[in-house]
Amino acid sequence: MPAIEVDRQMLPMFQSPNQGARFYNPELPETEPFVPGHRTCAGCGPSIQYRMTSKASGDNTILIGPTGCMYVANSSYLCTPYNVPWAHTQIGSAGSFTAGVAAAYEAMIRKGKWKGAFPNIICEAGDGAAADIGLGPISGALYRNHDCLIICYDNEQYANTGIQASSRTPYGGMTTFSPPGPMVPEAKSLFPKDLARMMAAGHPHCYVATASVGYPIDLMNKVRRGLNHKGAAYLMIYTPCQKGFVYETPRSIDLGRLVVECGLYPIWEWDPARRAYDYTFRPQSMRPVSEYLKLQGRFGHLHAEHIANLQRFANEQWTMMGVELPEALLRATNAENLANMESAEAAAAVAQTV
Amino acid sequence: MATATASKRKVRINGCVSAAQAAKYADVDVITAYPIRPYTATMMALAQMVANGELDAEYIVADSEHSQLSIAHGAASSGARTFTGSSGVGVQFAYELYSPISGSRMPVQMMIADRTLDPPGDFGSEHTDALSTRDMGWLMGWSCDAQEAFDNHLLAFRIGEDPRVLLPQMVCQDGFFVSHITSDVELPDTSQVKEFLPPYKHPYPLDPRHPVSHGPQIMPEQGPPLQLERARAMEGSVPVIDQAHDEFARIFGRRYDAWLEEFMTEGADVVFFMQGGHAVTARYAIRHMRARGAKVGLVRLKTIRPYPTDRVMESLSKFKAVGVIETNMGLGSVSSGGSLYAEACAALYESPERPLVLSFMAGMGGEAIVLKEFYWMTNKMLEAQKRGKIEKRTHWVGFEE
Repeated sequence: MPAIEVDRQMLPMFQSPNQGARFYNPELPETEPFVPGHRTCAGCGPSIQYRMTSKASGDNTILIGPTGCMYVANSSYLCTPYNVPWAHTQIGSAGSFTAGVAAAYEAMIRKGKWKGAFPNIICEAGDGAAADIGLGPISGALYRNHDCLIICYDNEQYANTGIQASSRTPYGGMTTFSPPGPMVPEAKSLFPKDLARMMAAGHPHCYVATASVGYPIDLMNKVRRGLNHKGAAYLMIYTPCQKGFVYETPRSIDLGRLVVECGLYPIWEWDPARRAYDYTFRPQSMRPVSEYLKLQGRFGHLHAEHIANLQRFANEQWTMMGVELPEALLRATNAENLANMESAEAAAAVAQTV
Repeated sequence: MATATASKRKVRINGCVSAAQAAKYADVDVITAYPIRPYTATMMALAQMVANGELDAEYIVADSEHSQLSIAHGAASSGARTFTGSSGVGVQFAYELYSPISGSRMPVQMMIADRTLDPPGDFGSEHTDALSTRDMGWLMGWSCDAQEAFDNHLLAFRIGEDPRVLLPQMVCQDGFFVSHITSDVELPDTSQVKEFLPPYKHPYPLDPRHPVSHGPQIMPEQGPPLQLERARAMEGSVPVIDQAHDEFARIFGRRYDAWLEEFMTEGADVVFFMQGGHAVTARYAIRHMRARGAKVGLVRLKTIRPYPTDRVMESLSKFKAVGVIETNMGLGSVSSGGSLYAEACAALYESPERPLVLSFMAGMGGEAIVLKEFYWMTNKMLEAQKRGKIEKRTHWVGFEE
């Protein structure tokens, strides 16, 4: 019996009614593979991302959910909000389980055991699953180039277990595993693992990109580009967590833009065909990191010197993207030009009462 | 590309290759490999079959055993027949996945060629690797030679994939003693396998045309029914296992008792109770001792999950003394020896005629159990029979007079 050729879908890009296809498009698909009624928090960044991603992907989709808040909060009490097939897998199995699904469809279609276009296979891994415990298996899936899209919904912490530091938690971020105290006034003292760049550098044949819920059309187009790419794709998406970041619920999307405008979350694409980064994405404005930090309780303990460290980090990101730094941002790397967080004293007291 | 048809023939292969042949005959769709001795030879054989075009399957070199099992889980969840395997510490590296795979009722098949854990980590066979997973909801049993391994792999696919069962299977064989010893194996005609093994069809795969959710979170009170259902699946496999063995005998002409092999137990006073490849030596030793008048026999446990409790009770109650050969570590266990003793004793508890039970720590570190040691153990059993009580529960064979 001759092998049957695998039919792969090509999803069209969303057009750009304004802002370089970043903000708004009235003609989104009607389909809702991720329906309301789940148990995620108000303003939950990861679930906003989940809805955009699955809308972009459509109904011929299989979702894989390693353990994380998008598993626990979405699938409580034997109910799930998925209109497409979905499977839970272990927190360290994001890449491997997904690879299994992709391999199964390759074989079943080729051998005539399943008929239809190759499904969009999407894994939704948190940053704990993607950057820490499941890093190896995701690297394995990318390396072997299974036709799938692995998303890291990056809320910069283990949120589901009550806010613990991951290797994506930013410098200065307070979590229950990185509290501030007299010996560690900055709380988290390590800078985050540059996960997306690691994936691009190590697996240059893959489509790799970063995105943020602040730019929905850009995000959805990257989902489609990742799915259209024949082989493995990796997408890292900034998804604020109200519970862990401690901010006013309606500001999720604002944070999604501010984090980019402050240079803390560079938005780029890795083009596997050209083997090159595309840094053409530019936010509307550039701002000092303090504008992003001051909206979040997790940074409320920071002193001027810590804010200066974060500004230096942001400036390095801008430089990496080839952006010339304005004088104001250079000045903001000097602690003498900055003030402690207004809440710093109070925050220290709170930390001691835990 | 399709699986080449083959007609019945006899080949001389080892246990590892035999397992690979069975996977080929079963026309598996997804294979996940990661190297660790001694089971690696199975995956080497399969890699060559795929490279030669003898088998059309996705052959995935995983990044660890944990990934191997996760890939297998994902593939089986999507509706593919899936084959994997491991040895020793590799079996344990994947430990997290055993319960999720049986819990989601995915009939993944795993070949185990036993290897000692670390320490000593040598290439020899101890059953501790697979036995440590025995309560995770996998069907499990040991083969004692290459032919039986081939047959058990086919049987396990049919049993595990039966819609009344839907459980993963560990098809175990002793590292080296079975995995690397060649013997004659009769390979069937492809049409025989077609008749015996229907295509894998999971009732609820991950299929975009029929959306389902696998493995959602639950509340504690929703847990008991799920656990009960898995326990029932294991119990419910018993008649399916018997039926599959009957069908196997009809189609392939080899009849096995699914649960126990009794060898020269007729008129025996004392018996060995064991599983795996050392039974081949035991049979030889028993023939020799029988010729010299010792009333000794062998009861070989073929399926340990589900445990044939009533059959074990019925069988072992006929004898005066039973010597359990462990070949596994149960540190600090009931007998302070291995883990087979406790299960054999529990099976015998309700019997009105309980034999004396001794536990022998033999074959440890993957050492061969030599004839001399079988004679020594037989003497220990005969002495206990004569005395009417055991000297002690556990004997470390080779360390005592």
